[in-house]
Amino acid sequence: MIPKPALPLVGVHHTARPTWKLGETVHFYRDLLGLPLVHAISARGWGPDDHADFLHFFFDSGTGSTIAFFYYIGTEAPEFVTPRDDYRYRATHTAWRVETRDDLLACRAKVEAAGIEVRYQIRHEVIESIYFNDPNGYSIEITWQVRPFTEHDVDDARRTLDAAIALEQAGRAGLAPFSSIDEVWKRKGAQIAAELEAA
Amino acid sequence: MMPTIFVLDVPEFLPLVEHAREAAGLVVSGPRLGYWRIDGKGEIRVRRKALGFKPAVWHGALTGGLVGEVAHFDNDELVVVDADAR
Repeated sequence: MIPKPALPLVGVHHTARPTWKLGETVHFYRDLLGLPLVHAISARGWGPDDHADFLHFFFDSGTGSTIAFFYYIGTEAPEFVTPRDDYRYRATHTAWRVETRDDLLACRAKVEAAGIEVRYQIRHEVIESIYFNDPNGYSIEITWQVRPFTEHDVDDARRTLDAAIALEQAGRAGLAPFSSIDEVWKRKGAQIAAELEAA
Repeated sequence: MMPTIFVLDVPEFLPLVEHAREAAGLVVSGPRLGYWRIDGKGEIRVRRKALGFKPAVWHGALTGGLVGEVAHFDNDELVVVDADAR
């Protein structure tokens, strides 16, 4: 059986990131991508930090989800949020879901027609995605899932993460550095072989 | 010892199983516990183009686990050998 979340969640309400390009961001999401601007807060800075006055605004990304931004008035972008062309930076990204491959291709056509460069279209194991950047340098993905997850996916994910966590712990304990995915594959393979032997 | 790879029994990895069934020197069994088992006589050598795998799936082709050593794995070919062979 596929486990259900222990919390009564029904999906994403919003993700939020800061922007120092207000006009470009609104133009990109509202005008180029066509996501309705559905909510905006404008407020004096408040709270325990020395918080700047700010805007917090939301674009509709379907089925109740939004993508949101903060604009901190009169501030400069700190170094730690400066976008860079690096896979570790792009690891933080938003992936929107569409229902079919036709919808994905329609999104690609619309994105390109708006003059936005599609960086990649990639077929992964269970999803196919397009990737592009917003004016802030944030990575946006649009994806469709080819098939639902099954019990095999769930079991396999547990085996993979169990193996990797054991290797991480061994690395932290100074026993052996966790340095390649081969170690995960071998540990996992040994476990499956032992279970088959015992079955 | 023969090298072994386990292949999760899901559609995206099935071309690997189907290829192994036809390949000389490879023996397919299962699926058990959700995995197909491919044993190689001496080595398991697979070329990406023979599977029709896109790069993202190819580079995760061993995600089911293995018994042996990855002797070679680049964009076009992977070779798994017996651990004692290295």
